[in-house]
Amino acid sequence: MESSRDNHIKLQMRERESDYTNLQPYRIFCGTWNVNGQQASEAINEWLCPAEDSEPPDIYAIGFQELDLSKNAYIFSESVREEDWYKRIKEALHPKAKYKKVVKLVRLVGMMLVVFIRKGLELEIYDVMSGTVGTGIMGVMGNKGGVAVRFGLRDSTLCFVNSHLAAHTVEFERPHTDFKDINSRMLFGNRTISDHELVPCFFFFFSSENSLLFCSIVIWLGDLNYRLSDIDNDACKKLISDGRLQELMKYDQLVRQISQKNVFLDYLEGKISFIPTYKYDPGTDTWDTSEKCRTPAWCDRILWRGSNVGQLCYRSHMACKLSDHKPVSSIFESGIKVIDRAKQRQVYEDVMKQLDKWENEFLPQVEVSTMEIKFKDIKFIEQKKEILVVSNTGQVPVQFEFIPKPSDTNFCEPWLSVEPSKAVISVGAKCEVHLSVYVNKDTGPSLNSGKARIEDILVLHLDGGKDLFITVSGNYIPSSFSSSIETLVRMFKPVTDVETGSLIEIVSASTSLQHLILTIDQASSPNPSEDPPLDIPKEIWRLVDHLYKYGMEQDELFRQPGLHSEIQLIRDCLDQGKPRLLPGSVHSVAEALLLFLEVLPEPVVPYEHYDLCLHVCDNFTQAKQVLQRLPTSHRNVFKYICAFLRELLKHSASNFLDARFLGELHLNGHQSSRTAHQTRADHRSSLLCDAF
Amino acid sequence: MANQGGAQRPNGPQSKICQFKLVLLGESAVGKSSLVLRFVKGQFHEYQESTIGAAFLTQTVCLDDTTVKFEIWDTAGQERYHSLAPMYYRGAQAAIVVYDITNQDTFGRAKTWVRELQRQASPNIVIALAGNKADLANKRMVEYEEAQAYAEENSLLFMETSAKTAMNVNDIFLAIAKKLPKNEQAGQQQSRQRGVDLSQENQPSGGCCK
Ligand SMILES: Nc1nc2c(ncn2[C@@H]2O[C@H](COP(=O)(O)OP(=O)(O)OP(=O)(O)O)[C@@H](O)[C@H]2O)c(=O)[nH]1
Ligand SMILES: [Mg+2]
Repeated sequence: MESSRDNHIKLQMRERESDYTNLQPYRIFCGTWNVNGQQASEAINEWLCPAEDSEPPDIYAIGFQELDLSKNAYIFSESVREEDWYKRIKEALHPKAKYKKVVKLVRLVGMMLVVFIRKGLELEIYDVMSGTVGTGIMGVMGNKGGVAVRFGLRDSTLCFVNSHLAAHTVEFERPHTDFKDINSRMLFGNRTISDHELVPCFFFFFSSENSLLFCSIVIWLGDLNYRLSDIDNDACKKLISDGRLQELMKYDQLVRQISQKNVFLDYLEGKISFIPTYKYDPGTDTWDTSEKCRTPAWCDRILWRGSNVGQLCYRSHMACKLSDHKPVSSIFESGIKVIDRAKQRQVYEDVMKQLDKWENEFLPQVEVSTMEIKFKDIKFIEQKKEILVVSNTGQVPVQFEFIPKPSDTNFCEPWLSVEPSKAVISVGAKCEVHLSVYVNKDTGPSLNSGKARIEDILVLHLDGGKDLFITVSGNYIPSSFSSSIETLVRMFKPVTDVETGSLIEIVSASTSLQHLILTIDQASSPNPSEDPPLDIPKEIWRLVDHLYKYGMEQDELFRQPGLHSEIQLIRDCLDQGKPRLLPGSVHSVAEALLLFLEVLPEPVVPYEHYDLCLHVCDNFTQAKQVLQRLPTSHRNVFKYICAFLRELLKHSASNFLDARFLGELHLNGHQSSRTAHQTRADHRSSLLCDAF
Repeated sequence: MANQGGAQRPNGPQSKICQFKLVLLGESAVGKSSLVLRFVKGQFHEYQESTIGAAFLTQTVCLDDTTVKFEIWDTAGQERYHSLAPMYYRGAQAAIVVYDITNQDTFGRAKTWVRELQRQASPNIVIALAGNKADLANKRMVEYEEAQAYAEENSLLFMETSAKTAMNVNDIFLAIAKKLPKNEQAGQQQSRQRGVDLSQENQPSGGCCK
């Protein structure tokens, strides 16, 4: 993602380059000559500085081919000719200016390239690199191929290639292969070669990691060895002597290949107004008279690629006669980029600003149907539902997720469930999120006691974007279910008639009292100023009494489940104190009783006595003693339930209950979490039941 | 092979981009969202909705040698969301604690935020104190000198700002950008995720240069 961002910045900067770049004209002289291995025996001013060139160039790029045909040049890559020619070149440079070498020279066997720059301007060049590619014998030898020099000048990158491509009159496919080879294999510099630095110079390249610049200008010169096809020697020479060069040009293989886009893509060549530079009898201007009697050809060429390059002249130099080729030269006036740093910075800031704008526009955006969800009148074990609609109003698909708050592991309170908790919404689409509240025995006690409330904040996180806070709230209607025995025995009115404030008072009073009872003597009376507590919670009494009156003979009592809806009505009836008669079937009442006992925050046999009870359950006397230690109200409930169970057993003929099953029920009722002890526990329970 | 020549390759201004997480904290209605809106979009809304959540935006600041990209978390100032704030300042390299110069309470609240950041946020976090609504000078309740002295004691950057007139808005972000460490090493520690990080308590602070 980040690199695509970087690329975008680079691309934008490049696109707007002209906004912050000035062009400064530089005069570039390029020359190419296949010297056919001849010694540097004549002056070359005629080529490098002909009389008509009044203005000195800023840069010289001079290429030789077949500089040295000796075996030494092949095998030991050393050449005696090199120095001679180099001296000749230096003598022939334009006299009106002083020059410094950019690189002394690059040579591969017979191909040599020298680059000079006007004194003073050498301070403006950097990152000079050179490279060679052999495409000759076995595809690597240097008798054919190319040499190149590239360097940065101000804010442009220049590259000069001198190549000697393979010759073949008929099979003119061959030079193309060479061209492609050089293209892909040309390496520059003395750096370690890694992929991105394997820079084929003829296409654009980023030569270094911190530059945006293309290799802005490439000039390719050399003996490219393209010939004339489909024309015989005589016809050719006739056209030449008639001066009908444009006509002859139609037979030129390079022109044909370029127009067919087979080679030198994106390269340009100026109009040729000089006669073919090949092949002459050395020392003369006479066409080849040797046995082979070659058809003349424009072997020696200069092409370029890049913008802001203007060709001032393109010519051959007949005065240089020592080779079977005539030298060719061209002068370019090219605009070298000079970046205005202040303007560039402005453009850069612009680009970044635009990018920020886009990035912000493309951030995920949603609208929610509400930021506050209120649940009304939440009751124990009664599910309430609300829907939150999340709409994708942004321009990109949104992935949302509810995430936990700091130091939480779940993203919401245990009484709340949210479905789905994460999803993807496509642009313009909506997603319904279902929220439901359900208070059970785990969450009921603290809600009843007022320690907890129906209050939560959901953090709706958009992947890669902002967060929204959704507030969830509601009122919980306290219930006798999930209230403690101690609280219930101090509650003389139905739960719903007790004001919330005083309810909390009762709860806290009961907890502190309970503590007192447990630590001091259980027999001692609690606070004398208060009404004495009830013996057992009235709700338990009502449930048991109902069963006692209407259920003793009921087949499958406690075995057949009740109806959830009826249990909810029974809950309301117990909490509101009316109607007098409990609604629903006896099965529902029986299950309500079990549920009531199950959801007690502190079981009938309190947790702290539990292990002891298990321990003594085989011993009747000890069991009785332990029982004495239970808080009064708990002991009362225990006795009461046991009495009821005994009653039930008396009717076992009709209700088909046995002690074991009831014992299990009784125990499971409030100790379901400790099933490991079940077998012993129910044994004990039966024993205890028997005891009363 | 050859490698010579006098000049250095010219560098673009975009040589190095550093990314930092910045969080805005402060009491409700002091103008956190307004500051961000001014900084990012150059706009001001007389009626700016209270933030319920944490808004996220990015904005880039160009320095001489580096470019700093801020990932801005604009938090909800309402007290009931206070406990959620650590989600946003955790892992942040910079914070702007905002108060309203026309309201002394908000300055007190800002100090509490600073203390919380000093205790709970990354130890190297760059904190700036912004006395916003400086355009309402005639209703001023918090003296410039008082806030400045406090900022100095606690090594905070300090500026009075106005989201309405744009005074010092860019400047305070720029000052933070300059103060943030932009060393290479910091860059390597950068985890590229921009969202809320749930897994780490205190991320090592540091820049995110690449
Ligand atoms: N005169 C003046 N008014 C401002 C300035 N900044 C913000 N306001 C106004 O103050 C009110 C609150 O601004 P917000 O940006 O919403 O404040 P906030 O800190 O984001 O508030 P929360 O999102 O609730 O935490 C808006 O009505 C703004 O128009 C300011 O510099 N000058
Ligand atoms: Mg806001």
